[in-house]
Amino acid sequence: MRFGGLTAVKDVSVEVAQGSITAVIGPNGAGKTTLFNAITGVYEPTEGRVLVSGRDPRRSLDGRVIVSCVAIGIATAFFLAIAVRVEALWTASVIELYEYQKAFPWAKALGAFGSSLFGGGFWGTWVPLLLGLVFGTSGRFVIWSRSRRTPDVVASAGVARTFQNIRLFPELSLVENVVVGMDRRLTSGFVAALLALPSALRERAQARGEALKLLDFVGLGDKAEDAAGNLPYGHQRRLEIARALASRPDVILLDEPAAGMNPTETVDLMRLIRAIRDNGTTVVLIEHHMRVVMGISDRIHVLQYGEKIAEGTPIEIKNDPKCIEAYLGKEELG
Amino acid sequence: MQEPLRRFTPFSRGQLVLLGLMAAAPLFGESLAASGRTVVVYAILALGLNIVVGWTGLLHLGIAAFAAIGAYAYGILTCEIYPFQLGFWGGLAAAAAFGAVAGALLGAPTLRLRGDYLAIVTLGFGEIVQDALKNLDTITKGTQGINPLPGATVPGVSLLSSASQVAATKSSSVADGVAVSGTDWLGWLQISNETPVRWYFLYLFVLAAIVFLCRNLEFSRLGRQWFAVREDELAARCMAIEPDKAKLKAFAIGAALAALSGAMLASVLSSTGEPSNYDFQISILALCIVIVGGIGSITGILVGAIAMIGLNNVALPAISDAMQKAGIGSTSNVFTSPNNYKYLTFGLALVLMMRFRPDGIVHSRKAVRK
Repeated sequence: MRFGGLTAVKDVSVEVAQGSITAVIGPNGAGKTTLFNAITGVYEPTEGRVLVSGRDPRRSLDGRVIVSCVAIGIATAFFLAIAVRVEALWTASVIELYEYQKAFPWAKALGAFGSSLFGGGFWGTWVPLLLGLVFGTSGRFVIWSRSRRTPDVVASAGVARTFQNIRLFPELSLVENVVVGMDRRLTSGFVAALLALPSALRERAQARGEALKLLDFVGLGDKAEDAAGNLPYGHQRRLEIARALASRPDVILLDEPAAGMNPTETVDLMRLIRAIRDNGTTVVLIEHHMRVVMGISDRIHVLQYGEKIAEGTPIEIKNDPKCIEAYLGKEELG
Repeated sequence: MQEPLRRFTPFSRGQLVLLGLMAAAPLFGESLAASGRTVVVYAILALGLNIVVGWTGLLHLGIAAFAAIGAYAYGILTCEIYPFQLGFWGGLAAAAAFGAVAGALLGAPTLRLRGDYLAIVTLGFGEIVQDALKNLDTITKGTQGINPLPGATVPGVSLLSSASQVAATKSSSVADGVAVSGTDWLGWLQISNETPVRWYFLYLFVLAAIVFLCRNLEFSRLGRQWFAVREDELAARCMAIEPDKAKLKAFAIGAALAALSGAMLASVLSSTGEPSNYDFQISILALCIVIVGGIGSITGILVGAIAMIGLNNVALPAISDAMQKAGIGSTSNVFTSPNNYKYLTFGLALVLMMRFRPDGIVHSRKAVRK
């Protein structure tokens, strides 16, 4: 992952076994959060790939994309061709044919419109049509190709995350925050929503019920209707975890979940993370709190200056001279 | 802990009270009902703007352009000087559809812009639409505006009345009394400028329907997506929501409502008016209604529309009239006519709101959505 000339993360390969807890540790600025951002699509990695269960979460270039590009191109072409000569078209098809209080010859008008539209000559018809087609198709294609691996695509593939600097929806209630997290599993469409059809109401009631259960699971069930922004710090972190779990992800990435928590809360958190793993969700976490890392991780990866310097079980890492050096500095010899 | 879910009702208590209050307005005279139509129209415009500004958090400074598109679509599709002549309801539906398409066309390439830049685009769009309508005078009649336009009708009445006329001519020889009582009953459903109360109630019914639909959206999955995008776009993205799609829907729905309000106003005035009637001041007025009433709250917007348009179109003219009758002040002196104070009161209202109640008369943000 490079930003201009600065290489933030280089040649880091992290393999995470299904159903395990993996920790990524390293000194400040080692590139841990950048790694998370590259995985979840906040940044597009300059090199390298992310595979989830062997597949790269990325919008595929299928027929639908090509059809939509061409359709938008054709629509833009006609829009442009009509726009540049709208007054001439109007005159030919409406003003010349319509007599007050007489029946309007629709078929004739349509014919006049068509022949006038294609009768504008090189500059009047074909240049606008061609320009519209080129700009419409390529514009749609560029937008599509830039959004091939945005966070919503990665999230849809079953990777949920929390943020180091908490990013809740502060003015929504706790339940609504969690229900937003469920969005990828909801199916109710626009018409059902607009008319409050029973199907939409049922889905909403179910989602809220499920959200309340999740809030109970992380220990916030009694505050369900409070505003998320009014919660104390430690609770906000747990709400973020609940929101991430709501999408039933295969993998959940936790960015410093224990930051700002007191010792009791930390112990609760460790229990919570183990419970998440036991429910079948793979956990990857960034953490500075060594008791948490050593207490729950199955495997630890150590980053320093954007490169991986060690990998292993907690005991191996504890005794690895490189890691000790990274955290405590080199021992003075002599 | 499983608390019982709140039963979903079509209207909240506050909305029912306000709609009831508005329904009571004709008790105070026909003229109040006549200007009440304008209150309803602006309430719909502000509800449309609220979806974009209040719920999705995008600053939109060109909502009047969509009202203009709606008014001109209604004008072209219903006026007798054009061949289309869709009638009142067909015109309204087509105007709303045109508004939605125009909103989507503007939104699709620009909604990826952030914050202030989008505001500038919408501001510019507002000016472009006015100029385009002015200069396309073979189609839009330029600054003359399109008129006359059909007024409101109760759906189906024109069909019924023509049917009953046929029946009346047939049966007149047989039994006069029956046919006359039939047309009498239909006469009650005829709406014209002479019956502003009926017209007002029809519009109030449309407003109630739109409040109902907006409220459904507010508590729907789409509404939740809008709030999430407003609160934190990146977090919403990481929850598998596509902000671009959510924003585009908000933009199109807001534009459709604005176009509907433009068409309804054109029907009241029987003319689209000239393009410069839909200028920046209308956009700001709609924004004022949203902010003063309570950004993000449907109830608040009803309050805002009643307060702002009531002041503008009802209270100030009434005071002016009364002063003239009493012989105080004169129309020649700009300062003594209260009609000239409307922009002052808007400005004052905004400043006072920002100082004392920045969330609007009706709080929505403090009262958490449940």
